Amino acid sequence: MAGRGDLFVYRAELMMTVRKFLILAPAIVCCVLVISFFWVPTYEEQTKGNPDRLVQFVTTSSGDAAMLNPILSADSASSQVNGMVFEGLVDRDENLAFRGRVATSWKIYEHAYFYFNDEVATAGWGKIDPSKLVLNLKEMVSSDASRWEHVQSVVLLPREEIVRTITIQEGKEKKSVVLRAQAPPRIRFVLDRVDQSFFDSLSDVLGGDYLSSFDPTDFVSAEPALSEAHFAVAATELLPAFEHNPIIEFHLRPGVRFHDGHEVTAEDVKFTYEAIVNPKNLSPRIPDYEPVKKVEVIDPMTVRILYKRLYSPAFATWGMGILPAHLLNDKILAQEAKEMGKNPDEFTMRQSRFSRHPIGCGPFMFQQWKSDQYIRLKRYDSYWDGPPNYKEYVMRIIPDPLTQEMEFYAGTIDDYSVQPHQVDRLSRDDRYQNFSGTAFGYTYIGYNMRREPFNDVRVRRALGMAIDKKKIIDYLLYGQGESITGPFVKQTDFYNPDVKPLPYDPDGAVALLGEAGWQRGSDGYLQKNGRRLAFTLITNNGNPLRKAILAIAQDAWKKIGIQVETDMLEWSVFIQKRVNQLDFDALVLGWSMGIDPDLYQIWHSSQSGPYQLNFVGFTNPAADDLIIKIRQEYDHGRQVAYCHELHEIIAREEPYTFLYVGRWTALLDKRIVRVVTGADGQVIVRPIVPTKTGGYTFHLNQWIKLNRPPEFSAEG
Amino acid sequence: MLAFFGRSVIQKIVTLFFVSVVSFLIIHLAPGEPSQIDPLNPKFTPEMVERMRKEFNLDKPLHIQYLLFYRNLFNGRIVSWRDNLPVLGKIWERFLNSLPLFIVGTLLTWTISFPVGIRSAIQRDGIYDKSTTFLSYLLISIPGFFFAYILIIFVVTKLHVPVIGMETFGVTASSPLVRIMDRTWHLVLPSILGATGGVAVLSRYVRGQMLEIIGQDYVRTARAKGLSSETVYYKHALRNALLPFVTMFGLILPGLIGGSVIIESIFSWPGMGRMAYEAILGRDYPVILTINFLTAVLVLAGTLVSDLLYMVVDPRIKI
Repeated sequence: MAGRGDLFVYRAELMMTVRKFLILAPAIVCCVLVISFFWVPTYEEQTKGNPDRLVQFVTTSSGDAAMLNPILSADSASSQVNGMVFEGLVDRDENLAFRGRVATSWKIYEHAYFYFNDEVATAGWGKIDPSKLVLNLKEMVSSDASRWEHVQSVVLLPREEIVRTITIQEGKEKKSVVLRAQAPPRIRFVLDRVDQSFFDSLSDVLGGDYLSSFDPTDFVSAEPALSEAHFAVAATELLPAFEHNPIIEFHLRPGVRFHDGHEVTAEDVKFTYEAIVNPKNLSPRIPDYEPVKKVEVIDPMTVRILYKRLYSPAFATWGMGILPAHLLNDKILAQEAKEMGKNPDEFTMRQSRFSRHPIGCGPFMFQQWKSDQYIRLKRYDSYWDGPPNYKEYVMRIIPDPLTQEMEFYAGTIDDYSVQPHQVDRLSRDDRYQNFSGTAFGYTYIGYNMRREPFNDVRVRRALGMAIDKKKIIDYLLYGQGESITGPFVKQTDFYNPDVKPLPYDPDGAVALLGEAGWQRGSDGYLQKNGRRLAFTLITNNGNPLRKAILAIAQDAWKKIGIQVETDMLEWSVFIQKRVNQLDFDALVLGWSMGIDPDLYQIWHSSQSGPYQLNFVGFTNPAADDLIIKIRQEYDHGRQVAYCHELHEIIAREEPYTFLYVGRWTALLDKRIVRVVTGADGQVIVRPIVPTKTGGYTFHLNQWIKLNRPPEFSAEG
Repeated sequence: MLAFFGRSVIQKIVTLFFVSVVSFLIIHLAPGEPSQIDPLNPKFTPEMVERMRKEFNLDKPLHIQYLLFYRNLFNGRIVSWRDNLPVLGKIWERFLNSLPLFIVGTLLTWTISFPVGIRSAIQRDGIYDKSTTFLSYLLISIPGFFFAYILIIFVVTKLHVPVIGMETFGVTASSPLVRIMDRTWHLVLPSILGATGGVAVLSRYVRGQMLEIIGQDYVRTARAKGLSSETVYYKHALRNALLPFVTMFGLILPGLIGGSVIIESIFSWPGMGRMAYEAILGRDYPVILTINFLTAVLVLAGTLVSDLLYMVVDPRIKI
């Protein structure tokens, strides 16, 4: 009995313990959590009481970087870090002109070739043999020096035999064909600049049909035989009647070293190029380098790049960060593959650990990367342009904008990109310095010009006139936008400031539509030949601005008597089923632009098929001609002139209604300034000012955070 | 018992196969392409898009892609398209990050719900019961992200301490104890947020279960026998009320790998949920499918575990 009694007592105690446990357990958990609060360093301790914080620049990104290899990455976070770790041959300065980085100087010139055509008589000298022709040309060049001042030499190249294997797609099959050519003599001009109209001037002496009548098929044979059309194309490709070969020669800066101490040489430049075009690496930058014919190393400090054809955007591509050849060559990669137990044949730069631990020659060296947390870079003390003032550059990954904002207020982030609705409040906050500028992308309404009624320019212009763009900017963007009239970046000189925006004029729009035959019917809608003016305006889901534009446009057009349906589609459906298939009436979309004025893919008529980017179907011979000219022009002044003309045509034709270009605003801790050491060793403190490019981080290497906000005299 | 176990494992493998096929199909039939293939980039030529598709095996028929994918998964050779890192390694790393959040969240949920629910049941319709009911519905209805913002703004502006990330940014030189406490603090807000919904729902369940059991004849008998209410509630009633929760316990297993997209994004927590979300946005099929597959495995394992647990705790169930 006694035993049982004990058991009861024990059980009763257990009961008590269950109850106690149920109350104690959460209490203990909560206590531990609450106690931890007293151990956390406050923001105060992190920022003000921490001297290291002054030599650290902390910025944010909403997404993590993918790969820290400049030739492989395409996302903005990776580019931001790569820009600090790697350095290219050239970049753009405050005024968007090119300046040398790893390269000190460069020369751009061209080799121009044409084949001797023995079937046609020259206009100047009749029918003559090749050597005589060259003599005559030489004489012409030296006698009229002002006209031919850019010609350095004329050389006759002898006949040669060319053998090339090409692959041809016939139907579904791919076959390889061997082409053999007994090429006629060829004449080479060396020009000291690139001149796209060189052959036009040459045809004065050669005769208009001398070049065009050259028939390469006479000199070429194919094994196995090709269909006539294919053969003509292949032969012309092998022996073009005339050819421009632009050449860029870079002289590298001696003494530039990678972070591991290796000197940057021409071999590294060549290696970087080869890595990009190597199909195994799947570099997204391939199209930029496709026009390159050959990269030659002249000496360790000189590299020459030979191009197949005129392509002026090519120069800017040499801003690509230079990779260290000695860390990524095939031998090293094969060794790395072996260490990791992988098949060396399948192992490429993409798999290499280099992408998680990059080594470049930029101002900061890579230190640490914690996925989805932060990437830390350390100052590179032997940076050729003088080491940055900051000891550390950190990119924290914070996906949520509100969290970013909170961290910025707390001082653990140094800059913050303000959202439009906050600009008014925060730009007046005197705790921070703020910068703003014009963004690089515009939003537009594009019309499918293949379809009625958009094939009539009057209708397109009327639609554009019916929309009050100023109201969109004022109310939708809280004033953080600007009007834009054409496809060029607004802050560059390619943009034509003389093009006047279409006025907001609904009555004028009705009149214009009336001119085009659309009259208001009894139901209040515009009609022509018994058909109502009606169409669907679409855009993608998930972009609240575009959604609002949809409603605004619908309302504006309804007011002038147009029946508009709207639809929003998931991004990939929108692109694949509608845009790529050219199956839409009108759409709202945006382009983000680069500085380069090459518009070929978006505006050239050859790019208006399915899956191409001229999906509105803009075809205009004058515009096509200008687009090609812009692409081939190496002279900035002339390029600007062509761009202004093209801008005018596009604005007049209104294939898009250009709505707005956004403005960005960024906040920065007020204590951050630019500190420059003058020539006499004197330290000058300057305020940070945004550059013309629209960036405010241009002088980041000279930034530093002071203990307290500086006082600048009124003139700055 | 063994027979049951064997049968159930076989059934689950068959289910898993179908899950793998269906999830593979859903992901591949959904529109969109990996972010590496960018059709709206003016610089991309069709040949390049074609080569990318080939590299990712997207040009092959679906069933071949399926076989290739699962072969690589079981070989452990599967790599993410985004950064070419092994998927399993990535998942493991994120799993370790999400784990503390999951543990603390679950601890809070389960330890708080029971006392709250039991007391509500015992003092049915009292002020305590009514106020907890009100509070529960409030917490269930409040959107998680909104509550998170309110908490963050409050803590940052009033208490002036950091709450973002897994640890205070830039604190490296401190002693281990400080670092542990710092990490614990960073767990507080996200796990409270993760637990709110759970506490609200689970405490309602506990209350419901307890009420049901308290109404049973044997409880009345126990009371009539003169046992203290303590013994009645905490011995006879609670034990029986616990039974259904055994099943629920098995089902929280998949939560291990799911993580929470919203909370992890708001708090910049480098966890599973965020990785899965970003993989979906970037159409990183290997990552999505692997997580999907592992989740399916855990769900099935969870049901198996709860079946087994049930057999252990409830002697009435015999197979």
